[in-house]
Amino acid sequence: MAKEQKTSGAAAGAAAFKTFTPMAARPAPKDLTGVTAWLRTNLFSSVPSALLTFLGLWIAWSVLSALVSWGWVNAVFQASSRRECLDKVGLSGACWPGVVVWIPNLIYGLYPKDQVWRINWGALLLIVWLLPLWLPRVQSKIIIGFSTVLLFPLLASYLFLGGPKGWIWTALIAVGLTGFLWSLLTAASESLGGGPFLRLAARLMGAKTAEEEAQRGRLALLGLFAIAVLLVTQWNLDFVPTRVWGGLFLTLVISGFAITFSLPAGIILALGRRSKMPVISLLCTTFIELFRSVPLITILFMFNTMLPLFLPAGVEVNQLLRAIVAVCLFASAYMAEIVRGGLQAIPRGQYEAASAMGLGYWQSTSLIIMPQALKIMIPNIVGIFIGLLKDTTLVSIVGLFDLLSMARAIARDPGWIGLFLEPMFFITVVYFIFCFAMSQYSMSLEKRLGAGERR
Amino acid sequence: MALTDSGSMIAQPRQGQGSLLNNAAFRAGVYQAITLAVVIGGFWYLVNNTITNMSQRGMAAGFDFLTASAGFSVSFTLIPYKESDSYWRVFQVGMANTLLVAAVSAALATAMGLIIGLARLSNNWVIRNLSRWYVEILRNTPLLLQIIAWYFGVFTLLPNPRASMNWSDTFFLNNRGLYFPAPVPESGFGIFLAILAISIAGAAGVILWGRRRRLLTGRIAPVALPALAAMVIVPALAFLALGSPLAFDRPALQGFNFRGGINVPPAFCALVIALSVYTSCFIAETIRAGIQSVGRGQTEAAKALGVSSSRTMQSIILPQALRVIIPPSISQYLNLTKNSSLAIAIGFPDLVSVWMNTALNQSGRAIPIVAMTMAFYCVVSLSVSLLLNIYNRRVLLKER
Amino acid sequence: MLKTILSFVAMTAAAAATAPAQAQATLNQVKARGSLNCQVGTPTAGFYALAADGTWSGMDVDMCRAVAAAVFNDPKKVQFQSVTSAVRFTSLANGESDMLSRTTTWTAVRDTQLGLEFAGINFYDGQGLMVPKAANIKSAKELNNATVCVLTGTTTELNIADFYRANNMTFKAVTAENENVLITTYLGGGCDVYTNDKSGLAAIRSAFPKPDEHMILPETISKEPLGPVVRHGDQNWGDIVRWTLNGLIEAEEGGVTSANVDEMLKSTNPAIKRLLGVEGNIGEGMGLTKDFMVRVIKGVGNYGEIYERNVGAKTPVNIPRDGSLNALWTKGGILYAPPFR
Repeated sequence: MAKEQKTSGAAAGAAAFKTFTPMAARPAPKDLTGVTAWLRTNLFSSVPSALLTFLGLWIAWSVLSALVSWGWVNAVFQASSRRECLDKVGLSGACWPGVVVWIPNLIYGLYPKDQVWRINWGALLLIVWLLPLWLPRVQSKIIIGFSTVLLFPLLASYLFLGGPKGWIWTALIAVGLTGFLWSLLTAASESLGGGPFLRLAARLMGAKTAEEEAQRGRLALLGLFAIAVLLVTQWNLDFVPTRVWGGLFLTLVISGFAITFSLPAGIILALGRRSKMPVISLLCTTFIELFRSVPLITILFMFNTMLPLFLPAGVEVNQLLRAIVAVCLFASAYMAEIVRGGLQAIPRGQYEAASAMGLGYWQSTSLIIMPQALKIMIPNIVGIFIGLLKDTTLVSIVGLFDLLSMARAIARDPGWIGLFLEPMFFITVVYFIFCFAMSQYSMSLEKRLGAGERR
Repeated sequence: MALTDSGSMIAQPRQGQGSLLNNAAFRAGVYQAITLAVVIGGFWYLVNNTITNMSQRGMAAGFDFLTASAGFSVSFTLIPYKESDSYWRVFQVGMANTLLVAAVSAALATAMGLIIGLARLSNNWVIRNLSRWYVEILRNTPLLLQIIAWYFGVFTLLPNPRASMNWSDTFFLNNRGLYFPAPVPESGFGIFLAILAISIAGAAGVILWGRRRRLLTGRIAPVALPALAAMVIVPALAFLALGSPLAFDRPALQGFNFRGGINVPPAFCALVIALSVYTSCFIAETIRAGIQSVGRGQTEAAKALGVSSSRTMQSIILPQALRVIIPPSISQYLNLTKNSSLAIAIGFPDLVSVWMNTALNQSGRAIPIVAMTMAFYCVVSLSVSLLLNIYNRRVLLKER
Repeated sequence: MLKTILSFVAMTAAAAATAPAQAQATLNQVKARGSLNCQVGTPTAGFYALAADGTWSGMDVDMCRAVAAAVFNDPKKVQFQSVTSAVRFTSLANGESDMLSRTTTWTAVRDTQLGLEFAGINFYDGQGLMVPKAANIKSAKELNNATVCVLTGTTTELNIADFYRANNMTFKAVTAENENVLITTYLGGGCDVYTNDKSGLAAIRSAFPKPDEHMILPETISKEPLGPVVRHGDQNWGDIVRWTLNGLIEAEEGGVTSANVDEMLKSTNPAIKRLLGVEGNIGEGMGLTKDFMVRVIKGVGNYGEIYERNVGAKTPVNIPRDGSLNALWTKGGILYAPPFR
């Protein structure tokens, strides 16, 4: 049949152009398809490979069966105290009710229970703000992303902290709210095909030329700000001191701050280190090398106990702030080295080409060098973020009630005294979920960004 | 940077009539002077505050406590230590313990990292996925939790001293740790050490000579194996000829515990396992990336030229892969050293645990103690970074 | 970083010339802030326990509340600072905490060299030893060559070393900063003896899978007078904490409880009249009001009430008071407050 087609195709081709139809592919040989073949190539390709398969299966089985029998089969799910669990199964099974009772504390710390909605709303706000980044038709993704990173902390800190606000504070919160409203409106108008929100607003106000557009766009933004100020002045929340912040919430606050701060600070430090000015380069190098060379635990300790000594008497620095500052400085030193690595990978030709185009130092760095370097650095940057999230467990040592210290406190609750392994297991799973999600996202990002360069 | 260079090139001709502000060198000088002034000013301000605060609060500082007797016991010491020793001795004990943990864990982590890194590239589906999940799970959970988990694991798996696992009455393993005989040198041991040193130096010399000959003539001299054999056999014969000048102090069960021999406490074992397992994930990933970074064409070209597969690995793949593998591995070793400070969670007396926790609590001298701890880590890390930078400069791709 | 390291050097150079100067009055700071910054430890049953609903309770927590009641007429005006023992003294010395109420042992070195001032004793503790019954040990003297589980960073670590040195015996320590790690070690047979303050041992044992299989040896190997601590140099603030504590003990002695304090205001007993500020002017001399002890007792009760509520026989911690050192001096103990006059 295939032959017929070919001959008839050739005959017709002489008369007119006919599309070439390749013959259908033959099915793969039997011994290369199906379950058995897969098993043979992947599991039992040789005797050592088969042995390794069995060894691997045995390891997987023994780990999983021990976990399941402790955490599920022998575990207690209904009890009012640890004594009850111990009397039922002793130490052979987990005692989950203690963890369940404490879950609100593990997530929100000692945050007043009637105010917990504020944390939930904060999380929701962040998600809504970032949502446009995944909408295909939105064009202003970069600026929306930046607005989130820079302005969300302003809005969130009032949401979480609350209390009386002076006019500076009010203005800052309003800036945050303006950013949020702007992002939402821009995302909406761009998805519906109306272009950036400010241009749309300017056109609605009758702008004709580009100049008018810019002018009225600014006016629209000012209007948005005025609305935000109005909203903010009507908005009063109770003061919740940072002392009662804790649990997963605190862990995310600390690592979130560190992540946001460390990237720009790391870039500045790395540029400083590569600078031709000897004093700047020396200072940056000293900072980076010293912060990288000592364990985070010593930095936290120093900031926690000695910062009050460094400052004039009477100046009180919030304990949470001290921990955040310590983690931020530590993270930016690491980030600086990653950025330096990325900069080193950019061929010198790029610098030379940029200056040949007449670009200045800051222009070429921000437009030519950094975008390329950042792309190379993504896996390492995410690696640092994951490391930061994990390292926040250390703040428990300076007396902040992060996820780990909350989990430890369960063992000291008179009702659940000695309950230690179960909470540890629980928070390990929580950490894993967050870190694993981040690393998977970074991998997909890496693939997408690197798509054009793959051979 | 190239840019500032070109900037100054443009600025130079105008230097005579143009404003000083357009001179790049002058601007750089001003920036630096301002930065320096700010840093020094801030520094002076902090020191001044600290001195005032400390005197106001009656806090003691100074290093005079170092000679005082510490009075607490340390559960594991590499160097001799007793309760009546000074704080300075405690600092030494802590440093020695930290370095020991770091060295042992680094060696183990490298070996495990190599195995896992190769397993990640395996053709076997089970092994590939098992090693993948090993890496994913361990890399994505806090080390502090892992250390605690290993410590708990050690205790659920190991028997108590009376039911120790026993290998020919020489090695004992129980939940008080691993016991093995302590070597006790006798007369003539010095001569043995001298012979050992001479044969190692000789073997190294022969191997170097072989390499130089290969580079000069292209001929491969089969010297490596014979040299290594000589390095083992000669000292072994000497050891026997000298009448085995090394005795062993074997551990034996007495009362509550084993006495004699060397005891490795469970906290040490758990810490070393946790650190090396955790670090091995990162090393495995660097090794995998390193091997994958060498293009497949290289292997194929070597094959086409008829180079044997072991020599391909040795002379073609490895030298290129190592350039990618070594710098991140070294920073992993540094991280490992710093991570060993988490030992405090399970009570292994490393520097942070014994010095920054116990000694600080008993003496109350926070500032000197924290400063000394940080200084130690700085010295270790900076000296390793220095070596790394020298190496990095040597293997850096030469750009023209 | 460089700054800080250099500043250490500079400070140590300047350290020879340290002279205690008058610190800013703590009472004024507390009043201006509107709440007391009271440092407790990481949660511990009976002394500073954290419940699942986020509230603090315990002997030492009530001490904080008592001081808050004395200053503010509101025992709730306390910010509890839960800090690990490693940083407890620095946190007090650097001005972050106003007082420390966290089972801290009064020792000479701490009192004289760390810039601290002990305001009294609210619990007489002593270090004890726990062993499995199966080991068949009757006295601490039989523990030569044993492996001992001991918490690090506390006086227990020094006491056990002293005990063995004094008795010419040797031991091997297994230390950890985390109690649960140590308990697991002990239960798994990783050490022969578990040592801690006796107040803690009973609570720890109650959480064992089989508490009956373990016994606390009769010996008490150390003196552990525990009490609130303030910064050295502010005598007035020290007085407030000291006399709040003394007042709690005095109230129990006089039979003044949170239930009957209002009736007791009409008491004819001059000691009670002075305690409650009906007569005399002790409170105002310290910058408080005359009736500060009325508010304290209304807020937290007297010493006996605090004890029974937090560590008494009806609680999981279960430290019987009768016949112990913590009984009043009139009942065979050594709890004794100087007179309120």
